[in-house]
Amino acid sequence: MQDRIGRDSPVKLHLPPRVSPQGFAAALKAYAGVVGKDWVMASESDRDAYSDIYAPGDAAQWAASAAVAPANVEEVRACLRLANEHKTPLWPVARGKNLGYGTAAPRMAGSIVLDLGRMNKIIDIDPKLATCVVEPGVGFFDLHDAILRGNHPLWMSVPGNGWGSVIGNALDHGIGYTPYGLHARNLCGLEVVLPDGDLLRTGMGAMSNNPAWHHFPFSYGPTFDLAFTQSNLGVVTKAGLWLQPAPEASLELIFDIPEEGDIGWVVDTIAPMKISGLIEQNVFIPSWLGKMVLKGQRHDFWDKPGAIPEWRVAELLKQYKLGYWQVALRLYGEEPVIKAKAEIVKAAMKRHLAAPPQENWWRQGDAIGQYEITMGVPSAVPLQMSDWIGGRGAHMGFSPVVPASSEHVLGQLKRSRKIIADHDVDFYASFTIGGRFANNINMLMYDRDDAPMVENMKALFNALITQTAKAGYGEYRTHLGWMDPVMDTFDFNNHALRRFDEKVKSALDPNGIIAPGKQGVWPAAYAAQRHSAPQDGAGKGGKA
Amino acid sequence: MIRTVLFAAAAMLGAAIALAQAGGPHGPPPPYPLRPAYPAGDRHAPGGDGKVLFEAHCGYCHLAGGMGSNLITKQQVMMGHAPDQGLLANRSDLTADYVKAVVRNGKGAMPIQTRVDITDAELDAVARYLGKAG
Repeated sequence: MQDRIGRDSPVKLHLPPRVSPQGFAAALKAYAGVVGKDWVMASESDRDAYSDIYAPGDAAQWAASAAVAPANVEEVRACLRLANEHKTPLWPVARGKNLGYGTAAPRMAGSIVLDLGRMNKIIDIDPKLATCVVEPGVGFFDLHDAILRGNHPLWMSVPGNGWGSVIGNALDHGIGYTPYGLHARNLCGLEVVLPDGDLLRTGMGAMSNNPAWHHFPFSYGPTFDLAFTQSNLGVVTKAGLWLQPAPEASLELIFDIPEEGDIGWVVDTIAPMKISGLIEQNVFIPSWLGKMVLKGQRHDFWDKPGAIPEWRVAELLKQYKLGYWQVALRLYGEEPVIKAKAEIVKAAMKRHLAAPPQENWWRQGDAIGQYEITMGVPSAVPLQMSDWIGGRGAHMGFSPVVPASSEHVLGQLKRSRKIIADHDVDFYASFTIGGRFANNINMLMYDRDDAPMVENMKALFNALITQTAKAGYGEYRTHLGWMDPVMDTFDFNNHALRRFDEKVKSALDPNGIIAPGKQGVWPAAYAAQRHSAPQDGAGKGGKA
Repeated sequence: MIRTVLFAAAAMLGAAIALAQAGGPHGPPPPYPLRPAYPAGDRHAPGGDGKVLFEAHCGYCHLAGGMGSNLITKQQVMMGHAPDQGLLANRSDLTADYVKAVVRNGKGAMPIQTRVDITDAELDAVARYLGKAG
């Protein structure tokens, strides 16, 4: 399949619920009157382009009917008014690169993608107070390059895939690996178009021309900023973002951690230093597979179907002198401070691990390589993982959050290891210590053209959600196909969170025109579409 | 050759971090390639600068050390070609129609590009620039 130029079967036109062909054509004509006919994209090829490129199964389950690309906030407002008038729901995407979680595709088939990619202005970069103001179409590469061109002493925080939007990733609760790695927390002051086309500015921006809009994170009264993240309550058209001042120096300490069970003491050692502030970054701890892929493709090491057996894993780790985990920890700041911190970190690790870490210093003026994600350099190279499995490779992440202590981390590890082994799939996990919590990402890689493999992944994903929820843990983010089942797992007081979300949603958006079904929140107007993705346990209650 | 393969096979963030650590015997990782700014003006107007548009819109993956370059380098080396053929700008066997087909249909790890990612007029210019075989 490597040489294949092709795609899924073309995504057939799937109209929005209750909209006739004539009504749909009239809506597209009306949108063209706002954005220009060239920015209404409704061909078969366009529908394919807005489908989920990593779709587990038929991408038509999440088929966009068309895409509309406004150029500015006034056009966004006009599009929302038209969506209400024509009852054509919109699925806003910033750049549409949410790979592994649905790409640009909408949760509800027939939705029109509102592609904000043309809105790509970097409105301001302030090196003094380390802020910027950007539109949603600004990608990590764009902002990074603008900072470089301006020679600004600023660093970004970037996720594993740097191809996407700075704002889009923050709004979807994306995570990076620097001191600014909780991206939603970097947002400061939003401009939001509401479902009726009204325009809101949060924080100090609620006052006309207030210069503190992107410096003070709260509104006068209730602060709704986070209500617009993983949300269908509005379309964010502009945001302030805090950036990291470029440090004078940085030191990377790389520890190879030999045994699987060592993750317990690793977390108990690092989390307190992260909570105290001694370690500032989000510490990323991947399992061995992250290094093994440097040595070749999967079939170079194990050419049979099914998971690589444990005896072979042990052989490979021994042969290539790899630890089961790796901690690549980075310190930032003034050199004497880094040196003092490094001594504390090394002493803490030495209580459990005799081998000293590899040390890589960087100082102002030194070049920064293009793969330095922990120094805020964006890269799309991590997406090469598809090449490991071969074919038309794809991935999904199962991403529960646990408290950052050995008890919870080891419990989660043992549970997911068993479920993944029961489905005969390779285990590739990471824990990212963000302070008091750890994000556990279990990477599930598959060949989209291998139907039995895809079916097995779907069954595995369902089992992971169900059994993890039974143990009391939930996911922080998920693919379109599992937004309802994951929302089902948040069950306190008869799903009070969802009941609240949907009460607010239906009040603000009575026609349900912004992103129906996003994160399992359905407006009354489209409540019948809940559990409309076939693989999500529809009809089985979807309840963990 | 070893270095080529080293950079040609990576997976997820763990691999990116491992790549960042891949100094030593194979030399430092490639430096970050700064892309040109997107050209201003009407994106549907014909006659754009194909090189600038290629680097600005495709450079995320197809400049030196990028995801696409790494994967294509591996494919080219396996076919007996020089590693520098992993950079699309160095290829002499691409046709304009092929470039357009890959961009609009996707290929292997390369996703389909939308007409917001790259307009038809921009793609025409890029295809003319890369399509040295006609």
